[in-house]
Amino acid sequence: MPDETPQPTEPLIELTVNRVVEDPNTDTRILVLSRTDGTPEHFMIWVGAAEGESIRRALDTSVTPRPMSHDLVRSFGEHLGIITERVVITDVKSSTYFATVYLENKGVTRTVDARPSDAIGLALRCHAPIYVTPDVWKRRTGQNLDAWLNKLETKNIGAQEV
Amino acid sequence: MITQMQVKGLMFDPYNNAYIVILRDEDQAEMLPIWVGKSEASSISLALESVDPPRPMTHDFMKAYLDAVNAKVISVVITDLSENTYFAKIHLTYEDSEYTVDSRPSDAIALALRSEAPIFANESVIRKQTSEELDQWLENLKPEDFGKLDS
Repeated sequence: MPDETPQPTEPLIELTVNRVVEDPNTDTRILVLSRTDGTPEHFMIWVGAAEGESIRRALDTSVTPRPMSHDLVRSFGEHLGIITERVVITDVKSSTYFATVYLENKGVTRTVDARPSDAIGLALRCHAPIYVTPDVWKRRTGQNLDAWLNKLETKNIGAQEV
Repeated sequence: MITQMQVKGLMFDPYNNAYIVILRDEDQAEMLPIWVGKSEASSISLALESVDPPRPMTHDFMKAYLDAVNAKVISVVITDLSENTYFAKIHLTYEDSEYTVDSRPSDAIALALRSEAPIFANESVIRKQTSEELDQWLENLKPEDFGKLDS
C-alpha cells in the first residue's frame, strides 16, 4: 500500500493509553490517550465496546482473561515472526480516525490500514509505540472535553483508572 | 477424523443473552452449536451476508494483517470441547511453511469466512455435544427468537 500522504516535517507525537472510560449513554468506550512528553493535553477516541474492553484488558495486567481477537493477531505475529513495529494515527475525517500499523519481518516493512482501536489493541499487546501525526493532533476532537470527562468519571463507577 | 462443517446461521439465545453460531455437516446429519459474544456474532453475520461494513471490523483487520505478509489461512478446525468451552486451531501457510495457531472458535470462524477457508470439526467434539439437549432447547424457542441480528 503506497503511502500517499507526504511525510510530515514535524516529528510524530508519541502517545500512551491513559485510561478507558465507559460512556454510559452509548454502547461505546472513550479511549483517553496522553502524550509521553508530558504535555498535559489529552487525545480522545470513541471506540466500540468490544474494542474498548480489549484495550482495557491489555492495560490491566492483573487479569488473565480469555484471549480476545487482538491476542490472536499478536499470536499470529509470534508464530510467523512478524514484529509490530509501531502504529500511527494518520488521519481524521468527520471525527473518524484512521491508523496505520507498521509490520516488520526480516528487514521488510509492510503497512496495514486499521481502525485506531485495532491498531492500539495490537500495539499494547506487542509493546509497540503509538504515534499521532502533528496534523491529526491539531485537528483532534475533544480539546475542551476534559471537564466533561471528569464529570462523567465521577459518576461512573465503571471507569477504569490505569 | 474431522468433518467439514458449514455455517448455517446465527441465532440469538435469549436465555443466556448470547448468540449461537450453528455449524452443520454436509449431510445435515450433525449439528454443532457454538455460543459466541455479541461483537463476534456481528462480525460473523457481516461475513455471512458479504456485507462490507463502513469501517473494517477486527476480523477484517486480522485478514488484512495476514494479507500484508502473504500468509494464507488454509483451514480452521474446532478441536475440543471442555467444560462447555470450544477450542479451535487455525492452519496457515507462510513462506512455504505451515503453522498452527490456537484460537477461540468465534475468531476462527470469522476469519475462515473472510478467507474462504474450510471449517472442520473433530468428530470427538460432535460426539461430545449432546444433541438431545439442544433439540429440546430448540423446541422451546419461539419464532420471535429467530430475529435479524442487531450489530
